[in-house]
Amino acid sequence: MSGVNLSGIVKAYGALQVVHGIDLTVAEKEFVVLVGPSGCGKSTTLRMIAGLEEITDGDLTIHDRRVNRVAPKDRDVAMVFQNYALYPHLNVADNMAFGLRIRKMPKAEIKTTIADVAEILGLTPYLDRRPADLSGGQRQRVAMGRAIVRHPKVFLFDEPLSNLDAKLRTQMRAEIKRLHNRLGVTSVYVTHDQVEAMTLADRIVVMNDGRIEQVGTPMELFNNPANTFVAGFLGSPPMNQMKGMLTETGAKIGDAEIKINGAVAGHAGRDVIVGIRPEHVTLSDEGQSSALPISLDLVEPLGSEALLHARHGEDTLVFKADTNGDIAHLSGVGAVHVPSHLVKLFDAETGRALNLGT
Amino acid sequence: MMNWNLYSRGDKFFAMVVSVLIGMFTVATLYPFIYIAAVSFSSGFAAQAGKVVLTPIDATLEAYGYIITDPKFWISYRNTFIYTIGGTIMSLIFIVPCAYALSRPQLKGRRFFNLFIAFTMWFNAGLIPFFLNMRDLGLLDSMFGIILGFAVNAFNIILLRNFFESIPQSFEEAARMDGANDFQVLWKVFIPLSKPAIATITLFLIVARWNGFFWAMVLLQSEDKIPLQVFLRHTISNLSDDDEFAIVQTAAGFSAETVTAAIIVCSIIPVLIVYPFVQKYFEKGILLGGVKE
Repeated sequence: MSGVNLSGIVKAYGALQVVHGIDLTVAEKEFVVLVGPSGCGKSTTLRMIAGLEEITDGDLTIHDRRVNRVAPKDRDVAMVFQNYALYPHLNVADNMAFGLRIRKMPKAEIKTTIADVAEILGLTPYLDRRPADLSGGQRQRVAMGRAIVRHPKVFLFDEPLSNLDAKLRTQMRAEIKRLHNRLGVTSVYVTHDQVEAMTLADRIVVMNDGRIEQVGTPMELFNNPANTFVAGFLGSPPMNQMKGMLTETGAKIGDAEIKINGAVAGHAGRDVIVGIRPEHVTLSDEGQSSALPISLDLVEPLGSEALLHARHGEDTLVFKADTNGDIAHLSGVGAVHVPSHLVKLFDAETGRALNLGT
Repeated sequence: MMNWNLYSRGDKFFAMVVSVLIGMFTVATLYPFIYIAAVSFSSGFAAQAGKVVLTPIDATLEAYGYIITDPKFWISYRNTFIYTIGGTIMSLIFIVPCAYALSRPQLKGRRFFNLFIAFTMWFNAGLIPFFLNMRDLGLLDSMFGIILGFAVNAFNIILLRNFFESIPQSFEEAARMDGANDFQVLWKVFIPLSKPAIATITLFLIVARWNGFFWAMVLLQSEDKIPLQVFLRHTISNLSDDDEFAIVQTAAGFSAETVTAAIIVCSIIPVLIVYPFVQKYFEKGILLGGVKE
């Protein structure tokens, strides 16, 4: 049984189509993250699952029931909103009880449910407080509590951490993950933050322009991006992408040539985009074979590592290097060496990953 | 405490001009109240002779004595309360749901309905068509007619609609996810969140109803249905050419002027008592009209 199934889902506002026929299956108990830049249709997709937006075309099923025309309240889904949407006039307990009261749950049951959930979320001391008297993290937890008390079949999260500061975000991210492990409820989570996507997801769905670019586990997407968009979106900093041309032994980028495992043989002359992850390089001296000569622009120390902003011809590149407690030795870097098995190749025209049979 | 040393001469001059202007406005608005109160406590002779300026002359409670023994005064007073309370409740019953519906983007034909309602702020049918309409609906000389006939008011609907529109969409969505229908969203979320706005329009409605005069005069004939304001008008027009009253007032210490003033004072008292409690909403309400939060 699937948790949520989207089949050919289309959303259009009049003549303007914003989601172009999405197919996606979220397994029961799975945590799926929709990620993509602003305006890619991820929030719209989530809102269609929630029932807050009408579905223009396609089929949406939740636990194998078609719910295209089912009201949000009857879909058995709960949603955590970006701005929490806690009712300001109700205290924490009443906020969480709101949905239960509307569903006419007996009072005693409401009380125990709320007490249990408050305990899980560490909200017990705050049950009498109004949202205005809570910190950002506490409000976030109340918003989750409101979703949890209903024991829905599916949790929907719409960028729930984007209003928190960086430190709290990291903390709440871990809490959401823990909570999911504990409750095991099918979850669909929308974010534009690729770190959240990588850390939370069982599977990531990368969206762009109303289409799904790639679906897979975080490591699949990181190691084998299907196209230049995914390659450029996941990873921090993202993958460096340079125009190049295949040779019998590797790829020529400007004047330099980097070695790539034997599989390129026979494809010489083909225009490609060469992708190199910032962390996949070793610093080397100029002149070494299979090294990419660079001119260093800027070194940004981050503590244990540093970001090297550099140029090769017209391409602007970013690499990561260990500092070992000192950045002085990085200032003289003139080239980077890329292990040939870690170089990614994409078709120059379509941007799709090239699988040359390695 | 302001530190005047920090202000330039121009600023000081400006502050002075403002103070003088405000002082003049204060006098201009306050004086009629003081004058009416003074007249109501003065003797009929003094009032007729135009001797009253600021304080009562030959202070007496005769005028009050006259009106409180008049049962018609009490009936009209009661009627004013009925029109005010009943009318305000009736208005809220229409205005709140109407404003909510108009504020929802999902309402089909929303632009049309908004325009339709706003249109009545600039143009209306006019006195005679409205009168004929009320007549044909059987609402002439009817207390219910007064309450129902003026229940919907475009300005208040638009005021509240704007406030509803300023409430983030996600509250409604959260409530819908929680299982609420339209009425529950309105009742359990929007109304509690709109207390200041609703208090403001309630106040506008109360004041309008309390002072309601013209239509009550046009539509009501029965003496036992008229509100205080109409009773006041009857008093003013009747007393001065009532021979019997002329004899009574000569013997007693009041005149048409002092009785009129006493009725006005009585009609102001409830507003004076309530106003300080709702003043903050009144001020907010004026802002609500212009500024969309």
